[in-house]
Amino acid sequence: MLRGYFKIAFRNLAKHKFISFINLFGLTVGLTCCLLILTYILHELSYDKYNTKADRIYRVSRSFLNGNGEVSLHLGAVAPPFGPLLQHEFPDIQQAVRLLSTGHIPLRYEDKIFSETNTFFAEQNVFDVFDIGLLQGNPKKALADPFSVLLTEEVAKRYFGNADPIDKIIRMNDQFNFKVTGIFKELPENSHWHPKILMSFNTLKDTALVGEKNLTTNFSSNNYFTYLLLPKGYPARNIEARFPAFLDKVMGSPGQKPGTGPSTWTHLYLQKLTDIHLRSHLDSEIEDNGDIKRVYIFSAIALFILLIACINYMNLSTARSALRAREIGIRKVSGARKGELITQFLSESVLTASIAIVMAVILARFALPLLNTFTGQTLSAEVLFTWRIGLPILLTPLVVGTLSGLYPALFMSSFQPVKTLKGLFKADGSSISFRKVLVVAQFSISIILLISTAIVFGQLRYMQQKSLGFDKEQILTMNYADQLDPAYKAFRTELMQNSYIKNMARSSRIPTGRLLDNQGASSEAGDSMRPVNADIKYLAVDYDFVPTYGISIAAGRNFSRDFASDTAGFVLNETAVTAIGWKNPREAIGKTMKYGDTKGNIIGVIKDFHFESMHQKIVPLIMVLPPASWTGNSFGDLSIKITGNNLPAALAHIEKTWKRFLPGIPYRASFLDERFDGLYRSEQRQGSLFTVFSGIAILIACLGLFGLSAFAIIQRTKEIGIRKVLGASVTGIIGLLSKDFLLLVGIAALIAFPVAGYAMHSWLQDFAYRVQLSWWIFLAAGFIAAAVALLTIGLQAFKAATANPVSALRSE
Amino acid sequence: MIDLKHISKWFTISGKPNFILKDINLTIREGEFVSILGPSGSGKSTLLNVIGMLDDASEGEYYFLDQPVHSLKEKQRSQLYKQYIGFVFQAYHLIDELTVYENIETPLIYQNVKSSERQAMVADILDRFQIVGKKDLFPTQLSGGQQQLVGIARALIAKPKLLLADEPTGNLNSKQGEEIMELFRQLNKEDKVTIIQVTHSEKNAEYGTHIINLLDGRIENS
Repeated sequence: MLRGYFKIAFRNLAKHKFISFINLFGLTVGLTCCLLILTYILHELSYDKYNTKADRIYRVSRSFLNGNGEVSLHLGAVAPPFGPLLQHEFPDIQQAVRLLSTGHIPLRYEDKIFSETNTFFAEQNVFDVFDIGLLQGNPKKALADPFSVLLTEEVAKRYFGNADPIDKIIRMNDQFNFKVTGIFKELPENSHWHPKILMSFNTLKDTALVGEKNLTTNFSSNNYFTYLLLPKGYPARNIEARFPAFLDKVMGSPGQKPGTGPSTWTHLYLQKLTDIHLRSHLDSEIEDNGDIKRVYIFSAIALFILLIACINYMNLSTARSALRAREIGIRKVSGARKGELITQFLSESVLTASIAIVMAVILARFALPLLNTFTGQTLSAEVLFTWRIGLPILLTPLVVGTLSGLYPALFMSSFQPVKTLKGLFKADGSSISFRKVLVVAQFSISIILLISTAIVFGQLRYMQQKSLGFDKEQILTMNYADQLDPAYKAFRTELMQNSYIKNMARSSRIPTGRLLDNQGASSEAGDSMRPVNADIKYLAVDYDFVPTYGISIAAGRNFSRDFASDTAGFVLNETAVTAIGWKNPREAIGKTMKYGDTKGNIIGVIKDFHFESMHQKIVPLIMVLPPASWTGNSFGDLSIKITGNNLPAALAHIEKTWKRFLPGIPYRASFLDERFDGLYRSEQRQGSLFTVFSGIAILIACLGLFGLSAFAIIQRTKEIGIRKVLGASVTGIIGLLSKDFLLLVGIAALIAFPVAGYAMHSWLQDFAYRVQLSWWIFLAAGFIAAAVALLTIGLQAFKAATANPVSALRSE
Repeated sequence: MIDLKHISKWFTISGKPNFILKDINLTIREGEFVSILGPSGSGKSTLLNVIGMLDDASEGEYYFLDQPVHSLKEKQRSQLYKQYIGFVFQAYHLIDELTVYENIETPLIYQNVKSSERQAMVADILDRFQIVGKKDLFPTQLSGGQQQLVGIARALIAKPKLLLADEPTGNLNSKQGEEIMELFRQLNKEDKVTIIQVTHSEKNAEYGTHIINLLDGRIENS
């Protein structure tokens, strides 16, 4: 019997090509989007699960509280003593491993120099916690000795070609020699860290680097990513609950009063390894993580598109049911029971969905590389062909087919044979109004997607165009090298001789980076010093930072070489002035302040400028000239402002000078405006994907509307004919036919507006600086939807309206 | 075989009942060939549909093979109907998407007849109606007379006791019509199929053993 059903389903598909096309196209595209997004979601969810002990690995994170008890900073890395101390205090912890990222670091082998990233100092038990395969070397010993290093094959090849890398010597930063003791397999893409070079952690005990004392006692250097391995099934909460007591014990001073220990201003937490990629957005992360919200958003979009396609099927099937009424009647007269007819119609929709899924799988395979280039991801369709995922996919036609076929099946199988056979059949009101509900649903979804797309792009443009408070154009940035300290004056003089170079400055961090450094501050209040409640982040700068960046002065002046006392002076931003409690910038000038261990006067207040991305609020900021005692670690970056008149010449001069002064360090520079673009790259991609998917959704919805209006017009052929004979104009008839559908779009808009408004309002909460939800975006989206609908319907309405009325009347 | 007692059917239009059938009393025995004759609008098709269980009467009792159809549940009624009744229509009502063979086979499928048996039964009837050569054609490829032949074959395939025909020759020319009527008479005589046909042609009505005249929903005489 089923074979018979499929046979007639096939013949129906072939006979009604236009409807079949709309249904198949919609379902195929909808399912393709679902498959693509499914691939993405599966990839996102798979992060770090390749580790055999993934469910037992936890990362320690640390937060700092401000005077009001709010978390002002939450770091994914902690101070170095915590690892061993935790293991000592909590015997249940099986392993504790610390990693320290080196950032950009120049490495040299013979005459080859590379600036490496993804380089970590790692303790030797890193192999006991994470799954890292050693291709050469002994996991027990490879990272034991100080100054030993492991490389990936790719790195080894870069340095040594095809020669055996073992026991070769690599020179770091022109200071230290490391011996290669092994080769490790690169970690998979779905890992939250991707080390290319692992150096032995014991190296850090050397006083020239960090020193043993620092490693065991320095609780303020929170750069050490620390992972714990717990026993199977061990509740991490048991340990977490005892963290406050632990902090008071290991960090507190002897004889501290209860309730005054370190646990009042800092906390430790445990994060599941497998939660890091999607749920961790701390102030320091090894790499940019994904976002569970994005996973939710794209799942919703995938379901939306599929829903729209299913609605098309429902609508077109019920609209077409008038044409099949006779068949249904005959079958009933031939003895078919309702259940048998429902089975028949469901098998038709399941067949359609089956064809669609086959085409969707093929399409997804081809579309995935395209999506990858578009999003910069490296997704693979292979995951779809594993039995765990592939089997459910094979079952989707059943679900999708039933979902889209059930209503038409129930609807059609309840036809009265007497009526259908007499040709008296007319779809009753309830089915038409249900169809209208479905059309409203489709257009609501389309309008929501339109509004969302517009607002996402509005926010992106806003972030890129909002005035930063300084001029980000023509600023070239590069990592500063400490070796330059003694020769900096000469280096600067040499560069400034070139007329294309306007100015240059050193600073501990540069805009687009995060402002995370922070020391205790107190300010003058009457005769005494009063601690400042708010965190004030600091930025170490040199005399030229403010002019190089073109930051405006609100009161006082910038640091000047003419005043020797400026080395103990401070420059604040306006937010800091407000946070301390002064009424205006002028009031702050000349006031005494203590920041960290340095006491000095406030010599200037600069206007607020955006240092971090628009996700972050402008924070209180203090600029200091680093005292001489800080040498070696004050500056992280170098910024060079050029005129832009002769870019190649300026760049060539900078590179030549760099190479002369710093032969051992590779030259790597990037423009600041590009770094700013990079800040919003993931949003940009998200926006583009949004556009593509909402475009697809609207296209499918319009195809459905096209089919539906075709039916509506066929049903009204006679009416149109009579109206024309009575003298109706073409425009009048188009208006008549379009009016109903436009009303539906209007209702859809009314439903979509609050939903989209709410959704986008929550989305915008992630940005400290955001666009207003302006009403015209909503109206425009409604108008676009209406215009597209009108165009879709109008085309057919025009055809119907210009047809000869005689032929329409004769056919009745 | 069929016993109608005080059967009435009406629609209510703006509060007033509009009778299509009014107080019909009718008995039809097995083996009869009844022609229901009447002008259009007289209610003859409705009467046929009530007898064929495609339609319900508003009032009255209907016994089919001594079973009270008027009080049977939908499922029992459909069982009864499937087993004993075949229908032939004026407009043939073949399924355009199915071949001649498949059209004839359809009722057997719904009666869960096994595939091999179905093949034998369909082959048998194709042979009998001499349309074997047309079995793979679609209805639109046949003439009107041939289509009605297929329609009758389909109605008879499940070997019903009662054949109901609603203007079976209405869409045919007179020669084709005569052939169909001859076939009916033969079925009635040789195969002992009870036949009720609706017609407005006196000539066709003459083929029946009984004629029932219907006017404005009432039986005139019988």
